[in-house]
Amino acid sequence: MIRPRAALLACLLALPASAQKAKPLVPYPLKKHVLKNGLTLVRVPFHSPGLVAYYTVVRVGSRNEVEEGHTGFAHFFEHMMFKGTPSWPEGGREALLGKLGFDENAFTSDDVTVYHVSGPSSGLEKLVELEADRFRNLQYGEATFQTEAKAVLGEYHKNAASPFLKIEEELSSTAFTRHTYRHTTLGFYEDIKKMPGYYEYSKEFFRRWYTPDNTLVFVVGDFDDQKLLEWAEKHYGGWTGKAAKVDIPKEPPQTAGRSVHIDWNTPTLPRHIYAWHAPATSPSTPDGAIQNVLASYLSGPTSPLHKDLVLTRHLCESVGSSFSDHRDPSLFTLTATLKEEKHRPEVAAAFDAQVKALASGKVDSKRVQDTKDHLRYALLMGLETPDQVALQLGYHAGVLGTPDGLELLYQAISRVRPEQLVQFARKHLAEKNRTVLALTHKPPQPQSEGGRP
Amino acid sequence: MKRAFLFFLLAGCATPEPVIKDAVEVDLVKAITPTPPTSEPSPPPSPVPFTSKPIQRPPPMHTIALPVEGKPIVSFRLVFQAGSIDDPQGKEGLTSLTAQLMAEGGTKELSAPQLLEALYPMAAELSASTDKELTVFEGRVHRDRLERFLDIFGDVMLEPRFDQAELDRLRTDALNAVKSGLRGENDENLGKVALDALLYPDHPYRHFPGGTVKGLSAITLEDVKAHWKAVFTQDRLVIGLAGAVDDSLVKQVKERLCSLPERSADRPELPPAPGVRSRALVVEKDSLSTAISMGFSYPLRRDHPDFYPVALAVSYLGEHRQFHGVLFQELREKRGLNYGDYAYAEHFHQEGYSSRPRVNVGRTQQDFSIWIRPVEPQNALFAARGAVFFLDELLSRPPPKERFETARGFLLGLTRLWEQTDQRRLGYAIDDALYGTPPFLERMRVALEAMTPEQMHEAARRHLAPSKLNLVFVAKGANSLAESLAKAETAPIRYPSPKPPEVLELDGRIASHPLPVHSSLVKVQDAQAFMEE
Repeated sequence: MIRPRAALLACLLALPASAQKAKPLVPYPLKKHVLKNGLTLVRVPFHSPGLVAYYTVVRVGSRNEVEEGHTGFAHFFEHMMFKGTPSWPEGGREALLGKLGFDENAFTSDDVTVYHVSGPSSGLEKLVELEADRFRNLQYGEATFQTEAKAVLGEYHKNAASPFLKIEEELSSTAFTRHTYRHTTLGFYEDIKKMPGYYEYSKEFFRRWYTPDNTLVFVVGDFDDQKLLEWAEKHYGGWTGKAAKVDIPKEPPQTAGRSVHIDWNTPTLPRHIYAWHAPATSPSTPDGAIQNVLASYLSGPTSPLHKDLVLTRHLCESVGSSFSDHRDPSLFTLTATLKEEKHRPEVAAAFDAQVKALASGKVDSKRVQDTKDHLRYALLMGLETPDQVALQLGYHAGVLGTPDGLELLYQAISRVRPEQLVQFARKHLAEKNRTVLALTHKPPQPQSEGGRP
Repeated sequence: MKRAFLFFLLAGCATPEPVIKDAVEVDLVKAITPTPPTSEPSPPPSPVPFTSKPIQRPPPMHTIALPVEGKPIVSFRLVFQAGSIDDPQGKEGLTSLTAQLMAEGGTKELSAPQLLEALYPMAAELSASTDKELTVFEGRVHRDRLERFLDIFGDVMLEPRFDQAELDRLRTDALNAVKSGLRGENDENLGKVALDALLYPDHPYRHFPGGTVKGLSAITLEDVKAHWKAVFTQDRLVIGLAGAVDDSLVKQVKERLCSLPERSADRPELPPAPGVRSRALVVEKDSLSTAISMGFSYPLRRDHPDFYPVALAVSYLGEHRQFHGVLFQELREKRGLNYGDYAYAEHFHQEGYSSRPRVNVGRTQQDFSIWIRPVEPQNALFAARGAVFFLDELLSRPPPKERFETARGFLLGLTRLWEQTDQRRLGYAIDDALYGTPPFLERMRVALEAMTPEQMHEAARRHLAPSKLNLVFVAKGANSLAESLAKAETAPIRYPSPKPPEVLELDGRIASHPLPVHSSLVKVQDAQAFMEE
């Protein structure tokens, strides 16, 4: 049984930043093992007596949805992974996991699908068996498939009450013309409604992407490492298959500015968003690290934009960036929630001024350092439970394509220099590379009584 | 994860009918034909008000310290027994706005921007949240930066800047949280807040803790200053410290907070819970789908032995965001009606994006509720009847042994996941002090180990009578839905895909299962008028 390393952690965190450069920024060493079939198993001992987090990361997301009319399928398929196997038919798996005290769920993003289970270490052996079983032997009938398609439609309806879904849909489909990031993870509404008809396709989707070489398992917490390795070999060892290769369309360079306007009929505050095409987060370039720093530098709580628009002139409720790390070139954004529609020109002017100043070479080195310190401390403070550690490690491993993704990213962040923000702004934050989204609350026009059925 | 754009005093007497302040009858409702089915009681059932014994008042600045050896983070959790029940009439939202102004509006030393600049490089966290009876100030910092953070956190509590411009900014945000956030952007949350208002007419729990439009608009800076002195006082404060904590830090924090006023203004006495039943409120809102919440207030709390078997019964019926609950399995998994269906033995708020229950949202008067996530409009009545049907089934007989074991095993494991962070451990320990119970989660586990299906069933029968339910729908075409409710129309369902015969057979029974709604107690309200005052 692996026991706490909290004392070591405390020593690491107590060191000044300069002394930590050569040391890992993620204070939990990873123990990696790749099975012969290509499955990557990462074990992370963590002080959580009697508890363990088990995260399975499949490198498939809405990015992989290349076929017309099948958007949203990665997310839909995530739901199907709970539908049982010959050994553990639908309901049986949940009942057993529940009885053992495990809490489970899953989520899908543009790039990855993550299945997460947390609970008592005492049930880990059975958990490894059940997880391996569903990834190897998933089986469901057409009626089950069709019923679940309705639940996914319900999920869309639930989300549709908020303007965020519409904003994401419109921004993506305007900024992207070819790449699959042009649709959201939920998929186009019309495609979701057609999902019940794609039973056969769902089996093909499983064969394509749910393969050992496309999957990483992260186990974080209190467990016997040797036994875990044995259980993993026993239950996952016979899993076969190779991930498919599909051509994900490359997005051609944008040559002129674009814009999109949304009229939203229920009460909401106006939104103003700038989105520029920007490079992927990859272990081989500093681009992702630069964008992590830049998002906070330009729009974080100590940024001139926040100080001016939110705290001083009270034109906006908030400013921020929706940037997140992506496997392929995606969008770098500045976002504002305005207090009143009439402030839109002033907000746009403030955005323009900040971007222009940065591109002209004006950069506040102290704020860059503060931002890097903030990101480092925020990461450490956010790694308090096995779940939090497994989520951060697993998500970044999936996006960056290596189990060390999180460490590599934060090492790169620690190396970001102020002039790199300037260079990034000059290269990417240009008007011709930008999409502007404006959302306005516009109440529906009253209908005449005669128009109603 | 999406891209980052990615919520018993059984008097039995006929008390006067409480007025639902937010409900406005519209013409169509008046036109509803009063032809209740013969099974419906007439006249409408009277409310059954009840009182609950007050929650504890721990000694002034009662302190709970949970040191964790080797941990480099310090967690602060200051919980005041001050909430929206302390808002003066006509100033609804005052407690929350005061807390926000303290947490965000700067200190005498630091303006609001300077406060952010001081906290930012250390990624220190400092926030405030207000519920019905409690306000929590929570902070976290790496121990490298503890001294500076202590100064700031102390100043936030003791030397708030109370700047008019910041009040104006935060008031506008609070107003927008009602006008846009609550009314416009989240049908499910609107349904839950509307259920609160429906259960507590003419009661301090009625209004949204963030305030009402009229209340927030009437608040002055002088109100805020006076309220700060009146409610954020030593005698209402429980101090929680965890992580890299030692005796000297405890002493340092207590010495600093000794500068808070010793005694508060008189605390408001809660009137009896109205105990309304058989009401329905349909909130008119332009939506693709219909959100449903239902529930009733009851006096059952963690300090009653029956709470534990009832909590298991409710978890069995539908644990929050879990797959194996009866409601989830029946309504979503077998019938594909929506995204999820859950039930709650005490008032519930989700913590952020996690599925964990928020801590320190305790209430003197509690409620049982069911949350049906949005369904297609044509299925709204069927889904509501389904929820009531499966609650009735729960009460009809003890659960099968195997399913009982699943629910019990799950709750035994889940409660361990609820206490993984220092802030949550503090939160539970503070709730224990307020409810006057031994450690709640441990007590839950001990009670679960000894429980039998029969005990769970009997406790559920004692406390979860479906006849007490009140229903809220957030829907487009509210008048039509209200009419169907008032007429107690059956609710057949049609599926786009084949269903097993046993599901269809049960559907026939669900479709005509009575909803505990009285035709004269169905109201309609426009979302745009909700929480106006």
